[in-house]
Amino acid sequence: MRAHASPAFRDVATEVGLNFQHFNFATGRHYMPEIMGAGVALLDYDNDGDLDIYLVQGSRLDHGGKLLSPPPSGWKPGSRLFKNLLAETGELRFVDVTEKAGVGHIGYGMGVAAGDYDNDGFLDLYVTNFGHNVLYHNNGDGTFTDVTRQAGVDDTHWSTSAAWVDVDGDGWLDLFVCNYVDFTVEGNRGCSSAAGEPDYCTPKMYHAVPSRLFRNLRNGKFEDITEASRINSSYGPALGVLCADFNGDGLTDIYVANDTSANLLWLNQGDGTFRESALDMGVAYSMDGLAKAGMGVTLADVENNGGLVLLVTNLTGEGVTVFRGDAHGQFDDATADFGLLQPTFGYTGFGTQWFDYDNDGWLDLFIANGGVTLGSASPARGSRYAQPKQLFHNEGRGRQFRHVSPEAGSVFQIAEVSRAAAFGDIDNDGAIDIVVANNNGPVRLLRNQIGQRRHWLTVKLEAEKVNRFAIGARVTVIRRGNDALVGRVHTDSSYLSANDVRVHFGLGDQTEIEAVQVSWPDGSKERFESVKCDRIVTLRQGSGKLL
Amino acid sequence: MTLHAYQQYDAAERAYTRAHSLDPQNFDWLYLLGAVQMAQGAFDRAVKTLQSALQIRPGDLAAEVRLAESLTAVPDWNGAAALYCRILDDRRECPKAWYGLGRAQTAKGDHAAAIESYGKACELFPAYGAAHFALAAELRRLGRKPEAERHIAAYAKNVTSEPPLDDPLFQRIHELNLSSQAHLQRGAELEKAGLLDEAIREHEAALANDPGNVQAHVNLISLYGRAGDPGKAKQHFEAATRLNPGRSDAWYNYGVLLYMQKHFDEAEKAYLRALQINPDYAEAHNNLGAIYEQLGRPADAEKEFRAAINDRPDYPLARFYLGRILVNEQKYDEAIQQLQRALTPDDDKTPVYLYALGATYARAGDRAHALEYLQRAHDAASRYGQSQLLASIDRDLKALQSAE
Repeated sequence: MRAHASPAFRDVATEVGLNFQHFNFATGRHYMPEIMGAGVALLDYDNDGDLDIYLVQGSRLDHGGKLLSPPPSGWKPGSRLFKNLLAETGELRFVDVTEKAGVGHIGYGMGVAAGDYDNDGFLDLYVTNFGHNVLYHNNGDGTFTDVTRQAGVDDTHWSTSAAWVDVDGDGWLDLFVCNYVDFTVEGNRGCSSAAGEPDYCTPKMYHAVPSRLFRNLRNGKFEDITEASRINSSYGPALGVLCADFNGDGLTDIYVANDTSANLLWLNQGDGTFRESALDMGVAYSMDGLAKAGMGVTLADVENNGGLVLLVTNLTGEGVTVFRGDAHGQFDDATADFGLLQPTFGYTGFGTQWFDYDNDGWLDLFIANGGVTLGSASPARGSRYAQPKQLFHNEGRGRQFRHVSPEAGSVFQIAEVSRAAAFGDIDNDGAIDIVVANNNGPVRLLRNQIGQRRHWLTVKLEAEKVNRFAIGARVTVIRRGNDALVGRVHTDSSYLSANDVRVHFGLGDQTEIEAVQVSWPDGSKERFESVKCDRIVTLRQGSGKLL
Repeated sequence: MTLHAYQQYDAAERAYTRAHSLDPQNFDWLYLLGAVQMAQGAFDRAVKTLQSALQIRPGDLAAEVRLAESLTAVPDWNGAAALYCRILDDRRECPKAWYGLGRAQTAKGDHAAAIESYGKACELFPAYGAAHFALAAELRRLGRKPEAERHIAAYAKNVTSEPPLDDPLFQRIHELNLSSQAHLQRGAELEKAGLLDEAIREHEAALANDPGNVQAHVNLISLYGRAGDPGKAKQHFEAATRLNPGRSDAWYNYGVLLYMQKHFDEAEKAYLRALQINPDYAEAHNNLGAIYEQLGRPADAEKEFRAAINDRPDYPLARFYLGRILVNEQKYDEAIQQLQRALTPDDDKTPVYLYALGATYARAGDRAHALEYLQRAHDAASRYGQSQLLASIDRDLKALQSAE
C-alpha cells in the first residue's frame, strides 16, 4: 500500500448533520435485544443521485424498569431517515426528514433491508424489530406508507437481518427474514459472566426461531412460503444473510450466518424449494468442525480470479471465518492463510464488507466490532462491551491481509459497541464510505479520504425484464492486461444493514477499461463498451450488445 | 492461576509475566503465560513464549502441542508440520499430533498425506470429532462421498469430543474454578453422560456455592423427577420460580413432572404458564397437545401440535402426533406429509414413525407404499434392536402381504 499523507477515513457524522444516537433503553436487567442492535441502510430513496441514510432505533422493552441512564440529549424516538443534500461542490449535509417521509416507526428496532419490491423504480424499506416488523412502501414523492398488513410480511418474532432476493426468477423481489431466538422480556433468563457478574445471555439459553421466506405475488402482497420452500427444515439463531449464486447454476441461493450453530446455505432448486448444503459445500463450520457465533457476512471475488470468498464475523475468542471457494464450488476454511485469524481473534465482529477503500483494484476488509458479553479486558472508559473497529488492506493476490487500523484514522482508535455497517459512495467521489451504527452510541460516518486518488468506476443498473435495480445481477469489468473485476448487485450482507445498490470497482492506475459485461438475473448477458472510468454510469438492460 | 481459571486473561497475563520475571527458570509460568496469550489470540507472542518454555523443559508434550497450534494460527504451516512430525517421532500414538499434521498438510495442498494423517487420528481416537470432520472434507474433495458421509456421521456424534492431553497444569487451573457455573457445567456434562446421581450432586454443589443459581434449580426439577424424587423436584420448582417467576423452563419442567404423575390438570396449567411467558415454546405446545389428546380433546390437541411445528419445524415427535390425529380424521394426505417430515433425523424413534407411515398408507388404500414403509420400519426396528416393535410390524406386514 502506498503511504498516504492523510488517514484513509475520518468520522464526519456530526459536522455534516448526521446527528443520531442509538439508545438501547438498558435497565440493568440485561435483556438480550439491548445488546444486539441496531441497523443502518444506505439508499437513494428519492432518486436524486445521492445516498440517504436510514438508522434504526431502540425503544423501551420493560416499562416497569428504571433506565440505567436517560436518553442522550437530542435523542428522538423511533428510527430516522436522513436526506443527503450533497452539493455539486462535494459538500455533504444531511437533514432529518423522518416525519415528512413517514418512516419513524417506534419499536425495538433491529435491522433494515432495502429493495424495490413493486418495481416502481423506488427503493422500499423493510425494518426488522424485536416484535412486529414493518414494510415501508416508497411512494416516490419523498414519503413512505406502512403496508405491512396488506403485504402480509409481518413477523412478530425477534427478527434481525433481512434480504430482498428474487428466489423464483419472476422479476419480482421476494423477502428473506432472519429470526433469532425466542427471548421474551418476561422470560429473561438472567445470566452471568465467567467472573460471576450479571451479564447478557448467550443464544444457547434460548431456542432458535425459524427464519421466514415471503414470495412476492406481484400485486403488493406476499405469500409466506417458509414451509413450502422447505427453508425451515434447518434453522439456527440467524443474524446475517446474503444471497448469491454459490454453485454457478444461475439461481440465487441464500446463506445464513447463525449464532452458535451451523451456518446454513440454502441452494435454490429452481422449483420453489431449497436444499440445505452448507456442510456439503464446506461453509457450515470452521476448519475444526465447530459452530462459531456467526454474525455478519460478506461475499466477493477477493482474489480477482473469479472465485468466491465468504467471510463470517464471530465472537471474541473465535476470530472471523474465511471460506475460500474453489472451481468445483467447494469451500475451505482459509482464515489463517488470509492472515485474519490472529488480528480478529480478540474481537466480536458484526457489520463487515469486502470493499476496495483505496481503489487499488483489490478488495479490502472492514469489521465493526463490539462485545455481547463482558470481556476480560475493560477499556479505560466507556462501555465494557466496547471494542475498536478494524480495517484490513488486501496486499494482493497470494498475499495476506494487513491490519491497517492504526494508520487508518482516529475513528479506528475509538472503542465502541459497533453493530451494523453499510457501505457506499455517499459523496459520489468514487471512494467507498462507511456508516457504522453503534449500539447505545452515536452513528459514525467514515468518509473515505483517499479512494479518489486512484481510478474507479461505479455501475448502476436499470433493468427492464427483471427487478428494476437488478438485484442478483453480476457485473464484470474487463480490463486490458489485467484480471477482470467481478461484482454482484446486492443491498444485503454485513449485519442488520442495507448497502448501496450500485456496484463499485477500484481500478488502480488504469484509466481505461475494455468493457463492462452484465449478467442479468434472468440469465441474459450484455456487453457495454466505451464505458469511461472515474464516474458513475447507468447501464440499462437492452442497451448493450447481447452476448 | 485463579484469574486464569476465571478467564480474566489480561490480568492473568500480567501476573504470569511478573511471576516469570521473579522466577525465570520456572517452566510453569512461561507455559501458562503462553496459554493465556493463546486464549487472547496473541498467537505470535504465544509462539515465542512457548518456545522459551520448551527450552526449560524440552519435549513437554502439552507445551509442544500448544506451540504447534499457535504456529498453525499464525500461520506457519511448515513450522507447525515440522513440530508435529517431531512430536510423532517420539509419540506415534498421539492423535492430536496426527490431526494437527493433517491440518498443515491440507493447508500446504498435500491432500493425500492429510487423508492419511486424519485417518490415523481417527483410528487412535475414534471419537475425535474434528479429525472426522477434516477427513470428510478431504474425502469429499476427492469425490469419495460415501466415505465422507461415514466420517460426517462419526463427527456428528462427537462434535466437541477430542482426545485428552496429559496436562497437569491445566488440570490445576480447571480445579481452581469453584464457581457455581463451573459445577453447573460439570453437572450438565454428567447428565449428558447419563450419570444422574453424579449430575444431581454437582447441581447441589452449584447451589451450595450460590443458592441463587436459578438454572441449577431448573435443572434439578428435571433431574429429581427422572430420579424418582418428585418431592425434591417440586422444592426446586418452587425455589426457581421464587427467584425468577419468568423462567418458562421451570414451568415446563414442572409440567413434565406433573404429567409423569398423571396430574393432567395441573400439568396443563404449568404448560400454559410456560407458554404465557414464552408463546414460542414448542415443547410446551407439544406436551399440552399430548394432554389434550389424553383428555379426548383432539381439536385442541391438533392446534397445539401445529403450534409446536410452527415454532420448531424440525420436531419429529410433534409431526408424528399431528399425523396420528390427522389419520383419525381420515386426512391421509396431510398425515402422510407430516409423517414424512418426522423421518429426519434418523434415530431410535424413526422405526415408530416409519411404522405409522406404513399404517397410514394402508388406511389410505395405497398398498404399495404401505408395504414399502412397513418394510423400512422392519429394517429400522431391527437396526435399533427394538424387538417388541419389530414383532408388531411383522404381524402387520404379514397381514398386508397375505391380503394380496
